[in-house]
Amino acid sequence: MLNLKEVIFSITNRCNLRCRMCDIPCGKIEELSTDQWKKVINDSSRLGAQTVVFSGGEPLLREDIFELIFFAKKNNLNACVTSNGCLIDEQVASRLSASGANVVNISIEGTKGTHDYLRGPGSFDKAASALANLRKYKIETTVASTVSRYNYEDLLYVLEIAGEYGATTVRLQPFNAIFLKDSARAGEFLIDKREIPKIEDIIHRFIDISQERKISTNPANYLFKIPAYLTGKKFHPDNCGALRYSCPINSNGDIFPCWIEASHNKLIGNIREESLYELWLSEKRRKLINSIINNGCSGCLMSCYDEVFGSRFSKAYILDKAKKVKRIASYRKLTNKALQFLKSQVIKMKLRYRFYSSYKGSVTNLLKRRLPGIFNKFRRIRESGGEDKEIILSEISRLKRKLREEIHSL
Amino acid sequence: MSYIKRFEQDLAYYFSELLERPLAKPLWIYLSLSHKCTYRCQMCGVVNILQGYELHKDAVKNLFDEIAAWGWDLTVVITGGEAFLRNDIFEIVEYGFAKGLKIEAVSNGALITKDLADRIISSGLKNIAISLDGAEEATHDAIRQKGAFNKAIAAINNLAESKSKLGTGPQISVWATIMRENVGELFDIILLVKEAGAECLVYHPVIVNQDDMQNTSPKARFWLKDNDIELLKQQIDKIVNYKKHHGLVAFLHDPYMWVKHFKGELTKREWKCNPFVFVNVGPDGNVRSCGSAFGNIQGLSLGECLKTREADQARRTMKNCQKPCLQTCWANPKADSLTNIIDTFIYDLKKDNIDGKSKKESLSTALFKLTDYEELLKECLT
Repeated sequence: MLNLKEVIFSITNRCNLRCRMCDIPCGKIEELSTDQWKKVINDSSRLGAQTVVFSGGEPLLREDIFELIFFAKKNNLNACVTSNGCLIDEQVASRLSASGANVVNISIEGTKGTHDYLRGPGSFDKAASALANLRKYKIETTVASTVSRYNYEDLLYVLEIAGEYGATTVRLQPFNAIFLKDSARAGEFLIDKREIPKIEDIIHRFIDISQERKISTNPANYLFKIPAYLTGKKFHPDNCGALRYSCPINSNGDIFPCWIEASHNKLIGNIREESLYELWLSEKRRKLINSIINNGCSGCLMSCYDEVFGSRFSKAYILDKAKKVKRIASYRKLTNKALQFLKSQVIKMKLRYRFYSSYKGSVTNLLKRRLPGIFNKFRRIRESGGEDKEIILSEISRLKRKLREEIHSL
Repeated sequence: MSYIKRFEQDLAYYFSELLERPLAKPLWIYLSLSHKCTYRCQMCGVVNILQGYELHKDAVKNLFDEIAAWGWDLTVVITGGEAFLRNDIFEIVEYGFAKGLKIEAVSNGALITKDLADRIISSGLKNIAISLDGAEEATHDAIRQKGAFNKAIAAINNLAESKSKLGTGPQISVWATIMRENVGELFDIILLVKEAGAECLVYHPVIVNQDDMQNTSPKARFWLKDNDIELLKQQIDKIVNYKKHHGLVAFLHDPYMWVKHFKGELTKREWKCNPFVFVNVGPDGNVRSCGSAFGNIQGLSLGECLKTREADQARRTMKNCQKPCLQTCWANPKADSLTNIIDTFIYDLKKDNIDGKSKKESLSTALFKLTDYEELLKECLT
């Protein structure tokens, strides 16, 4: 089984900003050449990947970025670019459009003050103008935000900005210390336990407003885990797809199981020595992945496979909603409520699908991947005694007959 | 418990679970009387979690009044901390006994001297359980405290002596926790406690985290590792064989489930929680079945606590729980299926030596009960 779904290229370590929560630009690394990246893209396509993500550093600092995007598109891959937006003027936006980039992800951390504090003076205005330019050239844009102590109060503003510039998705991810050189600094981004109710309230409003404005976000269950994560709690999702379906590649060609498990002793190999095709199918990778799965990973709350942290469309949620609908006495009210409920569910589903189709390939592929999970859910419902009450009624009738027969036989 | 009563209760548990309504009262009430304890056992966090709490005897008496009025066949298990550290423990037990309740107690045995053993034997308890975690002194003492092993064995001896002296008294049992430290000694515990004078031995798997019953992390200290599983299987074979010939051991469930449990392979089909069977009252008065508390007996009566929305929520969580924990809240497997409940009732009725008229009356009562529940189910469907 090839199983590769998406490849994340950190195509350069260079960056034009010096953000507080990221020390990536500190390291100087010899980058892979254009031809080497092209070989990787070709291999990704051969391995059945659907999406390649060009990230960095700042990927637009590489002059060959448009050529690489074009090459990815030629190989039937979805091309996503993550950028801080500072370099996206009209000309760059038009070139991105011409090269065929599917989605451009711009980082917005909050209000101008917050954003500039975290990413550097003037960066907010440039990011906002990038969003406007991309809209002008009809490139789908998404907004990403790294939630930390500094900006959680600004999340609703991020949503507003996204709505204003027509971004389809706002993707939140809590701050993670892996991008810091000195992990002792991590404390300044974490929150105090007493702040949890406040941030939870903001997330509630965030979800409500995102539904009103029809902007996709991460699954609600994932979002509600953010406050606890920011107080230092670790999450170890059971079926995280990052190890099985994705492949991060460093700017010098190192391949790791996932960004979190990117320590030196977990290196799968380097593109300069072996091809991605060979490394992905290698025994070494298989063993490494199995050892991580068996021994448990370091835990994270990265948004790459946020669906594994739980979907909002859980059985309990739907039953709960259905019960609320049931309680309403008037028939008219009931139908209206039911219709409203169904409508809101459809809108949510649509938003989720759009979110996945932009990030994770086509909806068909998403369904292929999700169907086994859905079947498992049905199996679990059956196992947990979710018998049909009608069947039990007929069983009761049968048992009553049996009791009557016993009475007559005496 | 008479079979008619058991039939009625099983039916109530079945429909409570199906309709998610508290139609049944709990079968087990674990009453933790005090946070205080003589030991600081490695696997137990009660002392730290519930620091400073102790239920007043009047609150306990009120609780006993209430549950005695239910007329439900249930058992109150007094736990702690160490319940025998309380001065009024016998007043409480005797009050419950006078109310006609079945009361059991669990102790680590540290305080059970000959005098105390005499009082325990004559107090009206149905069962007194002593915790023992190893057949070797070193194992038990390493988990609990130095000298704990000898005190526990002395406690069993004292209780057995007192019981033979008085000629009657509670069943003297031993509770052993299955954990990595003692997995090789499980069978030897039987021989040891038999010699000491115990009449029953119950094993139960370790709870890794008191706050989180579903925590079955293979990384936890007391959890059995892969290489311990084989040893556990061998021990179970020996225990099952011993039980076949000599009794003494009481299984709360199929012991081979332990293997699956520690391997993390136990499925919902094999182990089904019935959230209505078990309730725990803490020394702070908090009431919980599993997970977070849903009421406090110092504010509401226990019956009211069980009817709160929070209780509904907690039970729903338990019902949907995907990690079986092999604890007492397990539903009676016979009560999992309606057909089983009726068949068992008919079988017991046929075996009973009563006249045909009484049998007919019992069957009619069963039919009447079943019709009641049928009506309720129909009501829920509409």
